[in-house]
Amino acid sequence: MTPFAAAPDPSAAGQLALGVVLAAAGFVLLLPKPRGRSVAGGTAALLVAAVVLGLWSHRSFGDPGADWVEKGLFILFSTGAVGFGAVLVAQRNPARGAIAFAFVVLSTCGLFLLLAAPFLMAATVIIYAGAIIVTFLFVLMLSQAAGPSDENDRTREPLLGSLAGFAFAGLVLFALQHNHAGAAPLPAATLTADEKAKLADVAARLEPLAADDFYRPDVPKQGRVAQLNAIEQEVGPTLEKVVGDSPGRLEGYAAAGSIRERLGAYRTDTQARTVLARAAAVRDAAYPALRAVETAVTEPGRGDPEGAKAGIRRLRDEVRLLSGSGELPARNVGNLGLVVYADYLLAVELAGTLLLVATVGAVAIAHRRPATA
Amino acid sequence: MSEPLGLAPAVLGLLLGATVVTALMAGAPRLRRFAHLPLVLACAASAGLAIWIVIQLSAGTPAYRSVPVTWFAAGNFAASAAITIDPLAAVMLATVTFVATWIAVFSAGYMRDEHGVPERGYARYFAVMGLFVFSMCGLVLADNFFLLVAFWEGVGVCSYLLVGYYYAKPSAAAAARKAFLVTRLGDTGFLLGIFLLWKLGGYHTDLTVLFEHIRTHPPDTGSLTTACLLIFCGAVGKSAQFPLYVWLPDAMEGPTPVSALIHAATMVTAGVYLVARCAPVFALVPDAQAVVAWAGGITALLAAVIALTQTDLKRVLAYSTVSQLGYMFLALGAMGAVSPVFAVTAAIFHLFTHAFFKALLFLGAGSVMHAMGGVIDTRRFGGLRRIMPVTHLTFLCGAAALAALPPTSGFWSKDLILEALRDGAETTHPYAGGLQALLLIGLVTAGLTAFYTFRAYFLTFWGQTRVPEEAGHHAHESPPVMTVPLLVLAVGALAAGAVAGPLTHSFDHFLERTPSLQQAATAVPGAKAPAHAFDWGLAGLSTLLAAGGVGLAAVLYAKGRPEKVPPGLEPVVALSRNKLYVDEVYEAALVKPLTGAAVAAGMFDRFLDSFGRLLASAPRLLGHLARPVQNGLVQFYALGMAAGVVVLLSFVAFRIAR
Amino acid sequence: MIPVWHYLVVAALLFGIGLVGFLTRRNLITMFLCAEMMLQGVAINFAAFARYHGNLHGQAVVLFILAVAACEAGIALALFLMLYRRGRTLDASVWQALREVGVPPTVDPDPLPAADPGPPDPVLTPAGRRPAPTAEEAARV
Repeated sequence: MTPFAAAPDPSAAGQLALGVVLAAAGFVLLLPKPRGRSVAGGTAALLVAAVVLGLWSHRSFGDPGADWVEKGLFILFSTGAVGFGAVLVAQRNPARGAIAFAFVVLSTCGLFLLLAAPFLMAATVIIYAGAIIVTFLFVLMLSQAAGPSDENDRTREPLLGSLAGFAFAGLVLFALQHNHAGAAPLPAATLTADEKAKLADVAARLEPLAADDFYRPDVPKQGRVAQLNAIEQEVGPTLEKVVGDSPGRLEGYAAAGSIRERLGAYRTDTQARTVLARAAAVRDAAYPALRAVETAVTEPGRGDPEGAKAGIRRLRDEVRLLSGSGELPARNVGNLGLVVYADYLLAVELAGTLLLVATVGAVAIAHRRPATA
Repeated sequence: MSEPLGLAPAVLGLLLGATVVTALMAGAPRLRRFAHLPLVLACAASAGLAIWIVIQLSAGTPAYRSVPVTWFAAGNFAASAAITIDPLAAVMLATVTFVATWIAVFSAGYMRDEHGVPERGYARYFAVMGLFVFSMCGLVLADNFFLLVAFWEGVGVCSYLLVGYYYAKPSAAAAARKAFLVTRLGDTGFLLGIFLLWKLGGYHTDLTVLFEHIRTHPPDTGSLTTACLLIFCGAVGKSAQFPLYVWLPDAMEGPTPVSALIHAATMVTAGVYLVARCAPVFALVPDAQAVVAWAGGITALLAAVIALTQTDLKRVLAYSTVSQLGYMFLALGAMGAVSPVFAVTAAIFHLFTHAFFKALLFLGAGSVMHAMGGVIDTRRFGGLRRIMPVTHLTFLCGAAALAALPPTSGFWSKDLILEALRDGAETTHPYAGGLQALLLIGLVTAGLTAFYTFRAYFLTFWGQTRVPEEAGHHAHESPPVMTVPLLVLAVGALAAGAVAGPLTHSFDHFLERTPSLQQAATAVPGAKAPAHAFDWGLAGLSTLLAAGGVGLAAVLYAKGRPEKVPPGLEPVVALSRNKLYVDEVYEAALVKPLTGAAVAAGMFDRFLDSFGRLLASAPRLLGHLARPVQNGLVQFYALGMAAGVVVLLSFVAFRIAR
Repeated sequence: MIPVWHYLVVAALLFGIGLVGFLTRRNLITMFLCAEMMLQGVAINFAAFARYHGNLHGQAVVLFILAVAACEAGIALALFLMLYRRGRTLDASVWQALREVGVPPTVDPDPLPAADPGPPDPVLTPAGRRPAPTAEEAARV
């Protein structure tokens, strides 16, 4: 059995293998050593490998996106991260390596921004900026290399090390390619873009129902009742469609593909199930909320405008959450804090303890003992 | 928690806590001077609690048993951590903690030099002593054979540590080892006996449940006798009975208060207590009773004969302990002939009074030793009654009690034992004739006891005042911290027997409510119940013998003349002085053959080893080939790790991905 | 929106390059930076999956990665300082005393090239005659 027999597209797998081998060869040439180092050859091999792998990525996973700005930024940051990473590894001078690592971190932060993680971007910049400055100080303090030195001008097992590292990366990429072939983007399929737009529209139209004006007795009832009915006409069928289809959608997932894929679908489907359950809840809550509003409008004596308004607000929030499902919330820091301190409280405490212990340990280790010891 | 069931764990907790605190104090040099305080306070508090338990038991329910908690279990074997409190245990608990309290107080004075500076290891001494008392209390309270064994071994370990307290001294280290190993010999039998009893008793390990099971499903007498004899082995080892008594006289290498503790309360009484605790089983098998009785009788006579000529004050006392323990086993051996309640009461009553006067005597000897600068040989001092009046008077009280002169407590308890033997000899029991002979032995031993006790007393305190040069110029009475315990124990030695025994009969009334003894009594129907009437004839005879012994000792030794061997008695004296050559016999009969066997086993072992080495050379060769991989370079190891991950990942990607 | 796959590719490459550096470079500080780069790759993975699943759990894990990386930096730099004090070098291959008994130490085969002396120092032409030392100065020397 050849390894490529497992791949859905043998020629793409071959392309991947070519890129990985080229990259490994480039590093073998580029790594500092007393004899046989070729900067030009290594750089060329790495550039070719980058092009080959980029083409492979485009071929296997498609175009990064329709948005040119996003695409350009992604390409900029990812080539930046990978390229400066290569510089860090191949650079003889550790001080320059530290600068290259700073650029790696900045590129990573750019990718974090593209991934809607601004807080992580900020935290990484802050923490690594400090770490890199400290590292830089260490380099200046400890390695005043006047000439070639063992640690900077030699490498340990360049061939085996490069092969191991890129065999690892290549296998991961191969597994990605393989999995991409049969995978479906899960949460996106639960609600289509059209449905999401409709739900957002509904949320906007529910807004006036929560206002005080809507319940003023001096406004004619007919207009308001008509408005109410229109909303109901809109909300009901949309939700009915989402929820009513849902068993079919889930079945559709599960029925397609091999046992393994079905298992995968089942495992990763928790989010889809949550969305559907939420949609069902909204559908069930919509009718009584709207009825309460109708009662409050048509029979001012019997109805309870305050209760109706509260019900409408709850419904509106639920619809908004539903329409935004599959997207990250806008308030990144607040929601991240909520997740960290609600779901990962123990882990936070442990991480804090770990930091404390590490601080004590670092002080204890670096402490200069008296000469008698 | 003022229930007895709550108080008993409190006793254990107090003692263990004191141990821990003292052990911690050993680490703080400033606190070491006060290391005696936790133990003294804990012992006093637990003695108070134990007496409170006794009061509660005598007024209310006679026995409590804690809910058993499973300690460990495997198959149909389950050991539970359960404690029981009945009058037997309560009496032991009260005796142990009370005597230990005063010994601890005495130790606080004894373990210092004349300037009041504590010895090295002061805190260690008190920590181990706390553990010792704790283990003994746990042993007394345990209601499960395996819990009992745990505490039993705890007592053994602590005795090892305390006897070997002066571990730098080779003789002390050897004595500690001897004490430990000889008792281990008995413990082997004890463990086997427990396993046999476990099998016979329906695979229960809880004492109460096991005895109940044996009562309802009686096993065949042969195996039950075997089990009883094996258990008695443990008692023989721990209680220093013939033939395993050899460790106890050597155990005086430890500090003198430790001897007091071992002899009076905490260690050697464990064997007596064990047999008393197992009375429901022993009552069923007359053969085992006969063995117990004869072992006790032989030990009593043998030890008394050896004690006649010893010149070391502590050694005399040590052999007297062995002899008195023999008395207790004599009483226990009469279990089938008279009512077990009667026999056990007699034994435990003697244990109770013996605890007072033996602790007193040892502490008195310790006081003498303290004043004489560590010298304890009676040939090198004499006439100390003028120098140490308090020690002299209290020692006299103890000696009178040991010699069983009326009306000291020893008289009443020894009388009860002889009475039990006499009553047993009058029955139709199969071993009644033997009991007759044992009664005779008991009477002879009583006379001998009086003689050697007062011989030691006269040699120490009468005659010309002589002081060894080790004592220097400061041969004086001991400080109050040592004399007060002597006084308290002297009062006990004089009065405890009369108060608890013939005056109120509270001791036997209290003890006979013990459920296990009641159960044992039902096993021996028609046996004679204890007669509360006082037997003037027997008491008079034993008093006469004791008085004769005292008189003879006074005639021979009161003037302080050097010892003269009467003509014609030289071989007997030599026999006694050399301890009947028992150690030599053991050396020839046991140690030499065992050493030879060990050498042979060593040679066989070396043969096996060389075979094993041959087998081991193959993997060693393989190891030589793989060795260079271990080259000490971190990055090489990381490379190996990465390669391993790559292999694993390729398996995942190419095989599982399909 | 860029699909998650592209981020995963970048993350895998970053991890692989960091691994190569960690395995081959001998300067302890460079090794440390390469290990941090591997952590960056993992962090990108987590952030991408957070985006993909539409929740914040992945980002929370990245926060913990940051905390652990900070601990690691503190301890690692303290250890480097210790090692430097002992061996006056940052070379990781110096520390191979824990090898198996009887295995010869690993030595580097090729000699290092000689240090480039750089351009020679400028030499000024002497300005005038050199004064002869006085008798007092000569005696002092």
